[in-house]
Order: sequence, then C-alpha cells, then structure tokens
Amino acid sequence: MNAQIIGQMAVSGALMGLVYALIAYGFQLTFATSKSINFGQGELVMISAFFSLTLTNLGFPYWAMVPGGLLFGALMGLVVERAGVRLALEQKSEGWILLSIIIGLFFFSAAENIWGRDDRPFPTPISADPIHILGVDVTRLELSVAVGVFAIMGLIELFKRRTLLGKAFEAVSADRDAAELMGISSTRTVMLSYGLSGSVAALAGILVSPITTVGPTMASALILKAFSVAVVAGLDSGFGVVLVGMFLGALESLASFYLGSGWREAPGLILLILALALRPNGVFGKATIRKV
Amino acid sequence: MLQVEDLHAGYGASEVLTGTTLTVKQGTLVALIGANGAGKTTTMRAISGGIKPSRGKVILDGQEVQGLDASRIASLGLAHSPEGRKVFGPLSVEDNLLLGAYSRLPRFFGYHAQAKPDLDRVYDLFPRLRDRARQSAGTLSGGEQQMLAIGRALMARPKVMLLDEPSMGLAPVIVQEVFRTIRRLKEEGITLLLVEQFAKSALEVADYAYVMERGRIAVEGTPAELGRNERVLAAYLG
Amino acid sequence: MKRILLLRGAELIVFAFLATIPLLVVNPYALGLLTLLAIYGILLIGLDVTVGYLGQVNLAHVAFLGLGAYAAGLVVTKLGMGMVPALLAAALVGLVLGGLLALPALRLEGPQFALATLSFAALSTTALNELEALTGGAQGLSLSRPPILGHTLTPPLFYWLCMVLLALVWMLMRNLLASQWGRAFEALRDSPIATDAMGVGTYKHKVAAFALGSSLGGLAGGLYAFNFQYLQPQSFTYDLMIILLLGVVLGGRKSLWGAFVGATVIVLLPNLLSNRLLFQIFSGLGFAGALAAGVQGLMKKSTRPFQALAPVVAMGLLVVGGLFVENTEDWRKAIFALMLFSVVVGLPEGIMGFLALFLAKLFRVPHAPLPEPADLDTMLPIRPADGSALLVLADLKRYFGGVKAVDGLSMTVRAGTIHGLIGPNGSGKSTVVNVISGLYTPTAGTMQLRGVTLPIGSLYSVAQAGVARTFQNLQLFGELTALENVLVALKGVYRNPLPMVLLGLARREERTAQAQALALLELIGLREQALVKAKDLTYGAQRFLEIARALARKPDLLILDEPAAGLAHPDVLQQIEFIQRIHQRGITIILIEHHMDVVSELCDTVTVLDGGRIIAEGTPDEVKRHPKVVEAYLGQPPQPELPGGAEPLPA
Repeated sequence: MNAQIIGQMAVSGALMGLVYALIAYGFQLTFATSKSINFGQGELVMISAFFSLTLTNLGFPYWAMVPGGLLFGALMGLVVERAGVRLALEQKSEGWILLSIIIGLFFFSAAENIWGRDDRPFPTPISADPIHILGVDVTRLELSVAVGVFAIMGLIELFKRRTLLGKAFEAVSADRDAAELMGISSTRTVMLSYGLSGSVAALAGILVSPITTVGPTMASALILKAFSVAVVAGLDSGFGVVLVGMFLGALESLASFYLGSGWREAPGLILLILALALRPNGVFGKATIRKV
Repeated sequence: MLQVEDLHAGYGASEVLTGTTLTVKQGTLVALIGANGAGKTTTMRAISGGIKPSRGKVILDGQEVQGLDASRIASLGLAHSPEGRKVFGPLSVEDNLLLGAYSRLPRFFGYHAQAKPDLDRVYDLFPRLRDRARQSAGTLSGGEQQMLAIGRALMARPKVMLLDEPSMGLAPVIVQEVFRTIRRLKEEGITLLLVEQFAKSALEVADYAYVMERGRIAVEGTPAELGRNERVLAAYLG
Repeated sequence: MKRILLLRGAELIVFAFLATIPLLVVNPYALGLLTLLAIYGILLIGLDVTVGYLGQVNLAHVAFLGLGAYAAGLVVTKLGMGMVPALLAAALVGLVLGGLLALPALRLEGPQFALATLSFAALSTTALNELEALTGGAQGLSLSRPPILGHTLTPPLFYWLCMVLLALVWMLMRNLLASQWGRAFEALRDSPIATDAMGVGTYKHKVAAFALGSSLGGLAGGLYAFNFQYLQPQSFTYDLMIILLLGVVLGGRKSLWGAFVGATVIVLLPNLLSNRLLFQIFSGLGFAGALAAGVQGLMKKSTRPFQALAPVVAMGLLVVGGLFVENTEDWRKAIFALMLFSVVVGLPEGIMGFLALFLAKLFRVPHAPLPEPADLDTMLPIRPADGSALLVLADLKRYFGGVKAVDGLSMTVRAGTIHGLIGPNGSGKSTVVNVISGLYTPTAGTMQLRGVTLPIGSLYSVAQAGVARTFQNLQLFGELTALENVLVALKGVYRNPLPMVLLGLARREERTAQAQALALLELIGLREQALVKAKDLTYGAQRFLEIARALARKPDLLILDEPAAGLAHPDVLQQIEFIQRIHQRGITIILIEHHMDVVSELCDTVTVLDGGRIIAEGTPDEVKRHPKVVEAYLGQPPQPELPGGAEPLPA
C-alpha cells in the first residue's frame, strides 16, 4: 500500500465529501432562520435530479437546465416549508420533524411512479477523463463538483453579507423577535431560507448525478452522511461543513478500501455518534446558555 | 399618535393585561411605570405585535394595528427598542443600524447610499457608534449596546418609539447618560413611550405618566400630579 | 374505584376475547394477523415511551426490532438454546444497546436526537448486512421455533404466548406509568429544568425510559423472529420505521390503548392496500371525516385554516388517486404519507386521544378519594433556628462573555433566617440564584452549604444536596394536577424498588405520599384544588403551588425567586403569610424580590446588589437608608424635590 493510492483515494473521497457538505449547508440555511431542518432533504436532491434529467431529455442545454433545476428545487423547498414546517413552528411543536419526513416519503413515492424505480445515467457535457494534478488523477466531473459547491456557497454568503435582504436573513438568525421589530417578516425569511435550501439540494443532485446515476434511492446514503456532517460540524458554521465534509469523504473512501465497500457508511455514523457524545453542539458549533 | 384601548393579552392561559388603556400624543414623552410583573413589558409587546392581544385596540396614527404581525406594525411607523436591547450580536454596528431602516430601504443594492443621512444623524447623536461601525455588535459594552438599540430604532424615522427598560443592567453613570439621550430625543420632537424601573428618573423626563398594577392602569397624570399621590409615592418612589 | 373498574373491565374483556379467538375460528390467515397484532402491540408500546412520554422523535426503534430479532435468532441457531433464553436475550439486547445509544443521544433535543437515532438505525442495518459470518448478511437467517417445555408451538400456542406477553407488558407498563416514574416522564416533558431542580434527575429518567422502550422493541423483535422464522436486514428499514410512527401517532400517543389501536391499523394496512374496493371505501371515509372535522374546526375558529384544510386536501388526493391509479401497491408509500400527514396535522392526539376526550364527557367518573392530609409536624419537623452559617458564598463570579453578571460576591446566609436579595433589573440577583442552584457554573468562587462544598453546574445534584428553589418565570408541570406537581418533587417517601413498582405492589407508599402532598397543599391554601391541572390554576395559585412543590423537597435552604412578581395586592399579602408560615418551621429562605414592602415585611437580613456586586447589607431599615441603595434604585443622587414641587421622597 503506497502513499500514492492513499492520496488518490483521499482526494476523490474529499471531492465527494463536498457534496455532503453542500447538502449539510442546506440544513444550516434553514436551521439559522427557523431552528428546523428538512428531514426529507434527500428526496429533494433526488426529485430535483430527476426533474433536471427530464429537462435535459427535453433538449434543454446544460446552462439552461441548471437554473431550471435550481428553480424547481426552490419551489419544492417552499412546498416543504408551507406544508410541513410552518404550522409546527407556529405551534412551537416538533411536529415538523415528522412532517418533513412524511413529505419526503411522498416525494419518493411520486418519483418512483413518475420516473420509475431504475437507476438511469445522467448525461453531462463535462468529460469524465482524468487529468493529472499534483500526483493524483482527478476527473473533470469531480472538479465540476468542487467548482459548483464553492460557487453556490460563495454566492449565498455574498448575498448574506452584501445585500440588505441577506443582512435581514442574518438578523432573523441572530434574534427572530428583534428582527420582527425592525419590520423584517420572519415568516418570509424562513420561506426564503427553505427556497435557498431547496436550490442547494437541487444543485447537489445535478452535480452528483453524472457520477452516481439518477434513481429514487440515489440520495438515501448521501443524506445520512450529510446529516452526519451537519451535526459533527455544528448547524451554524459554513466553513465547518466544508472541512468536515471533505474529511468524512476521504475517511470513508479509505474505509471502503480497507474494510470492504459495505462499511462505507460506517465512519460517518460513528463520527456522528462520537461527536454527539463529546461535543453535542458540533465541533464548530456554539454552546447555548439555558435561561429560566 | 398612539392609542391603546382596553387591551387584553397574555401568555397561554394566563392573562397578564386585563384592560390597559393609554394615549401617547404626538411629540410627547409618556412614561409607563410599575412593579415587576405588573405588565409593562407585556403592554409594549402587545402594542408592537410580539404577542397578539385577545381583546382591545391599538391605534397607530389613526389606523388600527392590533392583531397584525410585528413586522407589519413596524413598517407602519412603530419602532420598538426592546427590553434587554436585543442587538444583532454577530452583525456589525452599521448593519444593525441599516436593518433599523429595513422597511423603507431597497432590498438588494443601493440601500447604503439611501440610508446615509439617517446614519449620519445617528452617528452624530452617538459618536461612539461611528468609531465602532465595523465592530460586531455583540462586542460592545452594555451602554453602547443600548445606544445602538436606540439608534437602530431611530433609523426607522418612526412615528412612535417604544423604549423598554433602557437602563436595565447598566451602571448608574451610564443610566444617567441614557436619560440625557432620552431628553435629547424628546427635544428633537420624537414621540416616545418609555417603560422604566427607575420611576423617578422617568418622571423627570416625562410629559405624562401611567402607573400599572396587575395588568391595568392604576393611576395616571402628569409627573407633578403623581408626585402628590400618596400611593404612588409609597409604592414606586420609595 | 368506579373508574378503575371500568378501565380494568374493558381491558379484561378485550384480552379475554382475543384469547378465545383461536378456539372459535381456525382460519390460519386471521390467526397470523392476530399474532402480528400482539407483536406490533408490544413494539408500539415500547415506541410510545419515547415518542409519547418523552416527546422525542425516535427513528431507531426499528433497529431494536431488528437487533432483537437477530439476537433471538442467533441464540437459537448458533447457541442451540431454547425460546425463553432467546426472548430474554432479545429484550436484553434492546435494553443494553438502547441504554448505550441513549447515554449520548439524550443529551440532545429535537432534531439532533432524531438524527442520532436515525444514524444508529442506519449503522445497525449496515452491521447486520456486513457481519456475514454471524448474520448471513443479505442472504438472511433461517430459524425454527424451538419447543417450550417439550411442547411444540403450534400457531395457536404461539399466538397465546404472544398475547400473554402483550398482556404482561401492558400490565407492567400501566403500573410503571401510574407510579412516580410515570409522573416523572410527564414532568420532564413539561419542564426539564424544574424536573432537575426538584431532584428528580431528568437525564437519568430519560435514559431509563429510552432503554425500557428499546427493550420492548427487542422483545417484539424476538417474537418477530419466531413468527416469520426467517430474517433479513432489509426487513428493518426506514420504511417500516415510518409505518411504526404512523401506528403510534394514529393510535394516539401516551396511551396503551393507542398503541393497541395503532398496531391494529398497521396489521390491517397491507390488506387495505391490496383490495381496491376496500381502499376506496376507506379513503372515502377518511375524506368525509377530514371534511367534517375541518368544517367544524373552521366554524368554531378553534383551528387554523391550514390545520382544517390540509387534511381535507390530503385525503382528497387519496380519493382522487384511488380512482386513477391502477395498482395501489405501487403508491403505498405515498398513501402512507398522505394518511400520516392528515393525522399529524388534523388529529395530532390520535384516535385514542380523540376518543378519550369523547369518553371523558360521556362517563364523568370521580377521582378516587384522597387520604387525609398528613401531620405537617412529623413530615416537616420544625428545625432550630440557631443562626449558624448555612450557606457561605465566597468571591462568587459569573461572567457571560464580557458581561460580569456576578462580580465577586461574598455573602453568608444564616440558618433559620429569611435573607433578602434585592437590586435593580440586571443587577445579578437571578444569576446568583442560578449559580447557587446549579443552572450555571460559576466562573470563580466557592459555595458551601453547612460547611460542605456545594456541587456546581448541576441542578439535580444541588437539589439532592438540600436546596430547593422556585422560578421567576413559572416552571410548573402544566399537564399535571396540583397534587401531582407536589408528588413529583416529594422526597423521602418513595422507597420501593422498581420491580415492586412494576408489579403494582407500591400502593401503600402512594397513599402516604398523597397524604404528605395534601398537607403541603393545605399549607398554601390549595387543598381544594388538588386535582386541578396546574395550567388551569389562577396565576396566583400557580405561584403558591411552586412554593409547595419546592417544600416537598423538605429543603434545608429554600430559594424564592420573585415569588410576588405579577401578583395582585391581596395575593401578595397571602404570599407573605405563606412565607411566614414556612419560616416558622425553621426553614432558611433566600428571597429575591423587587417589592420593597415585601422585603421589609419578611426579611431578617437584606443584601443589595448592583452591577453584580454588593452595595449594601444589613437589616431592611438599614439598607433602605443606605445612600448607595437610594442611588441604585433612583438612578441618580436623590434630589430634594420632584418637578411638581412635591414633598421630599421618603428614602
């Protein structure tokens, strides 16, 4: 076993890890504004990928398909917010956990029946030929994942820092009630966050599909790892999810190499339970102060 | 400018406000005093929409606003500087101020230029905030945060400003500074409703005052009148 | 008594009926369904412990079903042992692994907890799949039903075994839930902070409850293994978990009957989906029900429009879909989703919750009579007020970031006194109390109670050490009655070990406990309202009840955090009288108060705080005259006159 293979495995694993990071980032967006996350986010990734595949099959070019897919993801995110989250948040109950799972299940079943149960290839203009960088082989496809992930996270962070609406978003995250007093509607901000989160999920689907193929179960493994990343990194650090995502991707790529491919999921799950035991607020998270 | 009629509100099953009625005339400073738990802060929250009143009216500049969302009431011209200041800790001082004017600024770009005159006005009022414009609000001292909270409310160019316990948790020297600021706001003609635990200081700056007991107004009058009221003297000024 | 008879009667009838079925009907298919009903009944009772009683979304229960099933299967196939050890092993696996998962996971709340359990479930599926040498991996594991005491278990015999176990689990759970444990579960959902502060131990109870529920999952798994005699990892996946949640929520949370109803639904569901006509009838009924409930809700304005309309839309989709879709099996997940959605949104209390409300109106059965109150002098003997130093704080500090909430506070509270703590809002009074009572860890400084260092940073340990407190913002257990609120906190009565409780042999101490709790309620004038839910009491009564609950700890030191806040004047007078009564029993009290008159009336010593430091200390009269106190309360050096030229203020 030489360093080169290990390096190669780690790099391609880390690039895949960026997809987990991207989905986890979607959790952070909604958690910031509403302290809730969509437990059916994996199904959003999946149906958005299917929708984008349909767009491609209808003859839309790649550059038109991507925004179309993102828009669809945003719409579905809004559906989750309206049908699953808003009522529970108004009642201050945790019913949203169950409801978002249920809506995900519905999406899953719909996708199964509309698009079929089989895995299908996802055509892309980006080539899968490897290029040699710093001693390891990376495909353009894998690089496109990195570019896409950093581009959308960068854009959203820019939006949050540079526009007034983005600052309002941050204000709601910091103090919902005080933001309301400034005339910022927290309901609309939560909607915005679910829309953005849906788009992020859609992009994750579009980026990962050419590598993994599209099918109803394509996101079931992805989403578990995204959950792990979100919890391990904490639900409030964008920088943290990227780091933890890449680390986890590399780790599991090595685990499947040494222990067998069935154990691929194990590092993420073990990392998660360890993190919960040692640092419940996440490695990059902030501790909360209890009030009475 | 602001009228509250027979307001009932509470949390869950327990009703804290049991029929509060008060009026704030344009350009005046009205103080609301009373013991802890008498319902002062609840009154403020019921006016600004933080909790929904179960009965009664809130009339802002001739328009009934009870039952509307807090964000809607704010955009109609009511600024509420809440108890405990509640500045947006992770955001910079300047961003906090800009968000104060949220309802009348463009959402994406060009908001800074449009808010410039108001920013300058607040910075002139509180020069220390100008020095710390880029600093995150959470790192300010308690007194500075209070200045920021007041400045943020001012940014909205409000018709009425609610100030809830601006002196809470501040050292006496700073409290005096806060009261000097309130006096200046009053001189600028801002309509103010002030909740304050330092009853005496509040009465010194107020044009009119209400004393709350058990969720309703027990006594009202000019500070001079209240100063002659035996009960008020014993309960709140002793 | 009548109510108990009614409930027990219903249970007896149902179980007797279920037991006789195999004698009357010999349809093997129906018997199979009934066996499954018993297994799912046990499984859902276990799930209800976390989902219902702890109020947490638990996605790991299906994993315990699977782990229990494999444990039983392996005990039989690899170790060659019989059915009894196999079932015990299944339950044990659930108990141990449940406890191990709960230890870290139950430090979390809400979404993080759900995520942790979800991950555990995924991890267990991975393990079952990958440990091929043991489990046979995806190939599955075949086993046969070993005989019990030489008897081969025919389907009716196995059915009876399952039913007996269900009845047993039912009985044990009923006893447990009616005991101090069940009350603790209820309490910790309403206010975990108060549960800890009453010395009950939120975390301990949560972990125990989760482990218990998981062991029932394991037991059900064992029966599952012997029922199907073939196990595959993919039988225990997320899909089944969702169906189980559907069962608990639809049946009705926090109810044994609810679990039973839920199990019935789960068992019948596959048949419902395979028969088109049945499905259409069922969805039509569902739609009509949702419509009726929705319209009624909208008319009464008791529900939000969304809550009334969403189930109608969901059920409508089911009806319309049923007309167009060729094979309902294909859409089974969507159908589950729509049903579950309608129930969670429109009928959050479930079928039994709804029925219970309805039945309660029909049968108004009085509560069993309460015992006479205990003698206060024996349960709360008067302590000597010797004036020795009870609580000593030395240079106590607590900073929040840069804010020095408490900044070097040294204070001695003497036994048998009422020690007042006053100061303006934000002066640090509440923080001091929160540090003493263990909610916050001090940044620096020491605290000693009777010369022994007080535990820090744990409400529970401090409560155990003999300190009880009330809360400025009430932290009552709203869903419990006034009596139960006091019972939860009651110290020194409940001594019987868990097995006795489970077998229902702890009735006598329950009577003693009730008598003591009533005595405390009488002390604060709430004896008549003992059976009223705390959330339905008047605000004043709630404040009084908090004090009675704290007294149930029989504390050395009682901390009252603004007990008169928000009280009307007559209630304030009452409150003063109650506090004096408590004081007469020799209990040391720290009183945080804003009302100067309350403080003057009650306190022996007063400490005045400002900006986290002591600015004055002495008798009430001394501190009232202290210039710094006057300044702190008035914000400015006293001026001779008010603007209106009134008399000088009495300082």
